[in-house]
Amino acid sequence: MTVVLEYDNLTKEYRSFASRRRVRALDHFSLQVEAGEIFGFLGPNGAGKSTAIHLAMGFMRPSSGSGRMLGKPFGRASTRRRVGFLAENVALYHRRAEPLVRFYGALNRMGGARLSQRAREVLEAVGMLDQAKGNVGKFSRGMLQRIGLAQALVNDPELLILDEPTSALDPVARVMVRELLLKAREAGKTIFLSSHLLSEVELVCDRVGVLHQGKLVRLGRTEDLLASAGQTEIVARGIAPDGFAGAVARHGVVTFTVPVHQQQAALERVWSLGGEVVSANPVRRSLEEMFLEVTGAANSTGGAR
Amino acid sequence: MKPVLLIAMNFVREQRWPILVLLLWVLLLAFLGLMSDIRRQREDLLFVFKQVAFYVVVFSVFFGGSAIYSERRSRRILAVLSKAVSRQQYLSGLVLGVTIASAIYCFTLGLTGSWTLGEAGFPMSQVWFLMLCLVAACMLAGTVALMFSTFLNPFFAASATAAVLGLPAVAGESHALAAQWGYVIPAYALTRTVLQASFQSPGNSFWLPILLALVETVGFWLVAARIFAYVDIAVAVE
Repeated sequence: MTVVLEYDNLTKEYRSFASRRRVRALDHFSLQVEAGEIFGFLGPNGAGKSTAIHLAMGFMRPSSGSGRMLGKPFGRASTRRRVGFLAENVALYHRRAEPLVRFYGALNRMGGARLSQRAREVLEAVGMLDQAKGNVGKFSRGMLQRIGLAQALVNDPELLILDEPTSALDPVARVMVRELLLKAREAGKTIFLSSHLLSEVELVCDRVGVLHQGKLVRLGRTEDLLASAGQTEIVARGIAPDGFAGAVARHGVVTFTVPVHQQQAALERVWSLGGEVVSANPVRRSLEEMFLEVTGAANSTGGAR
Repeated sequence: MKPVLLIAMNFVREQRWPILVLLLWVLLLAFLGLMSDIRRQREDLLFVFKQVAFYVVVFSVFFGGSAIYSERRSRRILAVLSKAVSRQQYLSGLVLGVTIASAIYCFTLGLTGSWTLGEAGFPMSQVWFLMLCLVAACMLAGTVALMFSTFLNPFFAASATAAVLGLPAVAGESHALAAQWGYVIPAYALTRTVLQASFQSPGNSFWLPILLALVETVGFWLVAARIFAYVDIAVAVE
């Protein structure tokens, strides 16, 4: 698999000029994002997510370590031509939406009829074509975020780096952005998505990494991370609930959970009691539960993985 | 070259209101000048012309000194530098933008100066040469301010620029080789050419300070680019 974004043992320290105090935002951080995936980058406030993104974009230099984006070291202008970026709290020039998107496209060496057509396409994709002649300075935060997304998409990027892309959006717009991301993945694009909206991440991301106090404390496929509780939920019919620990009878079925290694025995017991198994599924945690568990554990162990 | 032009034009667009106010000021003074008895009050007209000409050097320092700061403060710089734009190109765009903004001002001043001073007997070609001196001075002053603004806030950047540009003047006053000192950083020499022009002696077309200003602009741009390459632009400036 091709690696599109790679952090290699990267550390970033901020130094206060006045107090000479050092703050370590990223601590020997390593990560590989593969081509064609949607990678969810999670972490509490101040975990170092935006720092990691800004390092990849070349907005700052690492204190130590290195990184590569699309096969080239971080900070190359020529590489950014193939990248789309949306910053958290997006700030854009106050001019009409369509010329603004064209301006950002032109900075990526686009031009002519292709750029005009592409600008209209992306404005339509983010649901802002009706507002193409409106001044961005008068837009709401949600509208501004959509224009920000349009400028990130205008160059048809191979890699899309989005820092909180849906934080100011209403539920309808969130669904639209989600569909946009899924469509981009279908087209072979890679998406690096930093977000606090865990339900969104859970729905679209193939892999998830959790950053805490500058360290990567959890990394894996979304489905693996959510199914790692080691429990199976069994739903059965035609049995009494008191034969199984923690079983609940509701709407004519009995539901209970057992450790995975006891699953076979539990199913055989249901059948031996004359019951019928309706379903047996691994217990899935929500991403929120996993996130709280991971960051809580990291707090108690000082950020160890 | 395309990103540089785009950034320059965008800079001028962002500064359109201050530029417009300055242009209106120049046009208003020219109108008042045309209303007066030009022949009898020509010395007063020349004094006002030189005063208004001096302002543009000061404004170019403010334009140059605040450009990066305001872009970083508003975080608009992130969207620009997330494109295929290097930091050198970004700085080039700002230098060109400051130069275009001051050139617009100087062009308007040149036009109005041609009407008013030309009517009073000042050589028209010399008016345009003085404007060229002024544009070169603005370009150099704006670039020096931009260089300081890569690591200082606008107030300190403007102060440091004033100190650097004024250094040759101070050295010249207290040194036997006064004229030569003026060419070390020729913004002072170029401004002095404009300020010393008179109807009796409109000044000679001496091109050396203009050429030196061009060369030094490139030099200061290189230093600015070197410093700016190490600046964490995503870090809040406040």
